[in-house]
Amino acid sequence: MAWNIGANDVANSMASAVGAKAITIRQAVFIAGILNVVGAVFIGSHVTNTIRKGIVSTEILADPQVALIGALSALLAAALWVSYATWKSLPVSTTHSIVGAMIGFGIMAGGFSVINWAKLAAVVMSWIISPVFSLVISFLMFKTIVRLILVKKDAFAKALRLSPVFIGLAAFVVVLSFLFKTPLGKTLSMDTWTALLVALILGGLVGFAGKAVIKKFTDSDEDDGTEQVFRKIQIGTSCYVALAQGANDVANAIGPLAVIYFLVNTGTVGSKVPVPAWLLLFGGIGIACGIGMAGHRVMETIGTKITTLTNTRGFAVDFAAASTVLLASKMGLPVSTTHAAVGGVLGVGLAGGIEAVNFRIVLQIMLYWVLTVPAAAVTSMIIFKILQLFY
Amino acid sequence: MRIPFISMFMASPFEGLLEHAEKIKECTWAFQQAIECHITDQCESFEEFRKNVDIFESEADAIKRRIRGHLPKGTLMPVDKFELFRYLHEQDKVLDAVEEALDWISFRSEPGIPNALHKDFFLLVDAVLDPVEEMCRMVAEARKYFTNFSEKQRRLVKDIIHVLRQQEHEADKVEDEIKAKVMNMQIDPVTVFHMIRLAETIGSIADHSENAGDMMRAMMAR
Repeated sequence: MAWNIGANDVANSMASAVGAKAITIRQAVFIAGILNVVGAVFIGSHVTNTIRKGIVSTEILADPQVALIGALSALLAAALWVSYATWKSLPVSTTHSIVGAMIGFGIMAGGFSVINWAKLAAVVMSWIISPVFSLVISFLMFKTIVRLILVKKDAFAKALRLSPVFIGLAAFVVVLSFLFKTPLGKTLSMDTWTALLVALILGGLVGFAGKAVIKKFTDSDEDDGTEQVFRKIQIGTSCYVALAQGANDVANAIGPLAVIYFLVNTGTVGSKVPVPAWLLLFGGIGIACGIGMAGHRVMETIGTKITTLTNTRGFAVDFAAASTVLLASKMGLPVSTTHAAVGGVLGVGLAGGIEAVNFRIVLQIMLYWVLTVPAAAVTSMIIFKILQLFY
Repeated sequence: MRIPFISMFMASPFEGLLEHAEKIKECTWAFQQAIECHITDQCESFEEFRKNVDIFESEADAIKRRIRGHLPKGTLMPVDKFELFRYLHEQDKVLDAVEEALDWISFRSEPGIPNALHKDFFLLVDAVLDPVEEMCRMVAEARKYFTNFSEKQRRLVKDIIHVLRQQEHEADKVEDEIKAKVMNMQIDPVTVFHMIRLAETIGSIADHSENAGDMMRAMMAR
């Protein structure tokens, strides 16, 4: 399961950076692997609770036998579905697969009443909201870059002058999402306004520091100076996406595993399952392995003649994806980085920034997003029944 | 197995456009050799050069079909798809004109071009080759414009289009001179017709290059 997440989602965070040649594929695989492990171990733990608890009511988990079988079937079902999707090269959301699988087992174990339908409605909403929101942000972001920098005569100087704004904005979003989204932020327990203030100050500081670094390392004589400036910025945003992905997605892989582990150890299930750190590490390493193996295929695809993103585009996509994930998590929606990234690419495409991008494939992608939950649910039901026969 | 996220990105049509333009440039060089060979008379290998041009033509055709075949409905590009196809069509016509000129010569290879016109036809061929090379440069620069959207780059492409127009005008003048000269030569009417039509066909190479420039101007319109 974790392997699948790595293989399936590595493209989200790193593809735009690699495509824009900001970093090499080897570096991307390495960085993404490390950051995923770090993200998973240090900031990943709490998400497990939300996913397990949110949609299926905990009452049915009172029976450890049922809970054990259920968690196992949910894990298997989600893994099967994501494997199938990876095989068919469809960008499905691992989050949604787990959600669907949990629903399936919930229905089998306790009937329709145990499902929290409001929560499910929120999931459905996120299918529409997260890509559209990301699309709008990346569209506006790219248009702004074109308007304020690219059309100007001295584009490089303009890019350098405005770089604190862009870096600051990105840093602002990054800091905010750490404060809101991760347990690290929860332990600091700031209220919204303090968090905003802290993020603003940190964003400003990082922005000006970033400018100084860029100024030092960028050669202004080069023809594509503007892209060079954004290349530096983009490395940062890509790393953030990888880190957030590790934190966010490790729960999908080991959430049910954690339930099983807890059950086997204690024989009961509480409303919260503490996830041991080694399990997170295990999940993180699994993701990293997936990334490592999938990296070769990314390299092949990049090697063939496809349109790649330049750095300005890549930045717009990364920024849109990160902002969307942050905002949606703040609203309590289980979004996936895949959805946000797809929306971001289309936004830049609509703004005319990409030489050719296939809009139609989105319909196909949408279809599989919608199919994910029921498909995982049905698979989970079947596996649950089969397992029940044995026990 | 492909990475799902990456399957959204597809082969860039501009890559193909540039390839197509380069092919045309190579083709016109072969064309120049063929014409020179035909005019200098002692040359035996005109047919060989003509075959070379045909090969270039079919290769360019394959590129053209590849571009057209790989832009499904719903492709997002910085330019309108219809305009892109119109441009490609015009660029392709340059090649058609090259091929047609050689065909036209082969229909009546004897007695060939009258001695008095040799210099004029050399001039005409040179005059139509300039816009083709300029067109090639235009495609490369335009591609850069569509990535960086810089005003400087936009001006550069517009200047190239302007140069294209002037070069076409120069070629037109040479063509008209040939026509006037032929009409006033006391030679048999079949040769007159053959020469007039040949001058017109060669001249149309420059016309189509200029038209391609105009289509490019339309694609760049804000």
